[in-house]
Amino acid sequence: MTTWTMARPRPSPLRQWWVLTIRVIAPTVRNGELLIAITMSVGFTAGLYIPLNRIMATVVQVNYAQYLMPAIALQAVFFAAMSAALRSATDSVHGINRRFGAMPIPVMTPMAARMSGNVYRCVVALATAIVCGHVIGFRFYGGTENTVGFCVLVLLIGVVVAVLGDLIGMVAANAEATTHILLLPQITLMTLSVGFQPAELYPRWIQPFVRNQPFSQFVYALRALAGDSSGSAAPSRLSVVGPALLWLIGTAVITALLYVVVQRRRR
Amino acid sequence: MSASESSVVVDEVSKSFGNVVALRDISFEVGRGEVVGLLGPNGAGKTTMVDILSTLTRPDSGHAWVAGHDVVSHPARVRQSIMLTGQQVAIDNMLTGRQNLVMFGRLQGLGKSDARARAAELIEDFDLSDAADRRVDGYSGGMRRRIDIACGLIVRPEVAFLDEPTTGLDPRGRQSIWDLVREFKSAGIATLLTTQYLEEADALSDRIVVVNHGTVIAEGPVDELKNRTGDGYCEITPKDPQDLPAMAAALGSLLPDEHRLEQSTDTGRITLPARDGADTLVEALRRLGSANIELVDVVLRRPSLDDVFFALTNESATRTSNPAAATVTT
Repeated sequence: MTTWTMARPRPSPLRQWWVLTIRVIAPTVRNGELLIAITMSVGFTAGLYIPLNRIMATVVQVNYAQYLMPAIALQAVFFAAMSAALRSATDSVHGINRRFGAMPIPVMTPMAARMSGNVYRCVVALATAIVCGHVIGFRFYGGTENTVGFCVLVLLIGVVVAVLGDLIGMVAANAEATTHILLLPQITLMTLSVGFQPAELYPRWIQPFVRNQPFSQFVYALRALAGDSSGSAAPSRLSVVGPALLWLIGTAVITALLYVVVQRRRR
Repeated sequence: MSASESSVVVDEVSKSFGNVVALRDISFEVGRGEVVGLLGPNGAGKTTMVDILSTLTRPDSGHAWVAGHDVVSHPARVRQSIMLTGQQVAIDNMLTGRQNLVMFGRLQGLGKSDARARAAELIEDFDLSDAADRRVDGYSGGMRRRIDIACGLIVRPEVAFLDEPTTGLDPRGRQSIWDLVREFKSAGIATLLTTQYLEEADALSDRIVVVNHGTVIAEGPVDELKNRTGDGYCEITPKDPQDLPAMAAALGSLLPDEHRLEQSTDTGRITLPARDGADTLVEALRRLGSANIELVDVVLRRPSLDDVFFALTNESATRTSNPAAATVTT
């Protein structure tokens, strides 16, 4: 049998958080997740910009790259959130969360590590999206404050959606189902949005939905924060950014409540 | 016994999930260095018990102490004293065996080089040298379970909870886990082993706690439990299963009522306790002979744990469904 020479060490929560964060981040490089995330952004940008640019430039009467950028950025962080959900579902299904629960690890540490992983994924996603946008001609015109605002808003949206995905992943009985649960609303919200064409081009009956659903509201806010060369973008006032913030805060509060419910139910 | 003398003390623990009662007033103890088998069918409440003892779930009522610490008021101390392997192997499939061990070592508070050194020791001890640097998703079931257990042994646990550790393993894999559990015992680690395999509980446990429908229906050393069911057994198989009722009638007082419950045309045989050893068998054959019942097989044997288990679960089922039935004799 094994020898027991070592005295029981005192685990530090900070080190545990770091070890678990590395555990989430390291495989994304090795298993191709990072590469897939980057390819997705490039594909998404090319797939929308190339076919739609000529038609839409005349309709929206601005640089289409500028118009499309918020959708590219949001798609990138949504995809990051889905990867997070898949990872957390896999941990749940494999009993890893259960095992951590019976180890001398503070309850919130695994969650905090997954959060850091989510932030990392979202940062990579945003950076890739900005590079893609830059290639097709997107530029920030709103000054430093608005540019920071743009990036922070995208990251916050990404993290909130990632936490929601993490939650669904924890609850869902299998990892594949988690992806499907997340994919349907994502595709619906993205395609029926003002992300690549204005609301007026949709049939009249669906326009209220297209205008007011969260993806569109995020797009309005981001477009305002990015600004544009002709100065025709909506100013980044509270009336434009406000609804997006409300959607974000609302989703965050509901997600947090659901988290508490799920954690309680498990006791 | 006070909490300090036993590694695990469970005192009248109950737990329900909604309307479903998982555990009802369960009490038992696991002494230092003792291996106790928690035996029961699926849904008996074994995993819920392990969850409570490993602080994953709180009991609704009652108390439990692990390594002297109350599982409800001091869960953090309990977690420092235990290892848990669940029904599933819980390791990171994206990592190699060695990386898993190092990660769990770091999580337990070891520095990088200590964690590596400990991983190397465990790889050696668990006979995983050839596979250590391959990803664990390519391991066989037995190897996965071994690395799973090794990850729980970075630091010496005072108490080990093994929840159905051999489910789904081939005979060789099962044997390697059995060897491990025996080593736990020689290392003085108190072990609570849940299993639905009677043979496994028999082979590994000092004592067995039998649970069914969330209650303890029997508890004691393996031999004592076997003796409860009688010194030995006669198994008599008629040529024609249709003769079973006639056999039961002919055997009369030799066949106590609780054994009568086991008869069925499914097994095609009658089992009765051999209170006087071979004499009982001779008497049974005499009675069956005069009733002109043709037999194909007659066996006299020691009770197996299976017999104990079925007898006990039948007893408890009878007691709950019809309290009078168990006392009626023919």
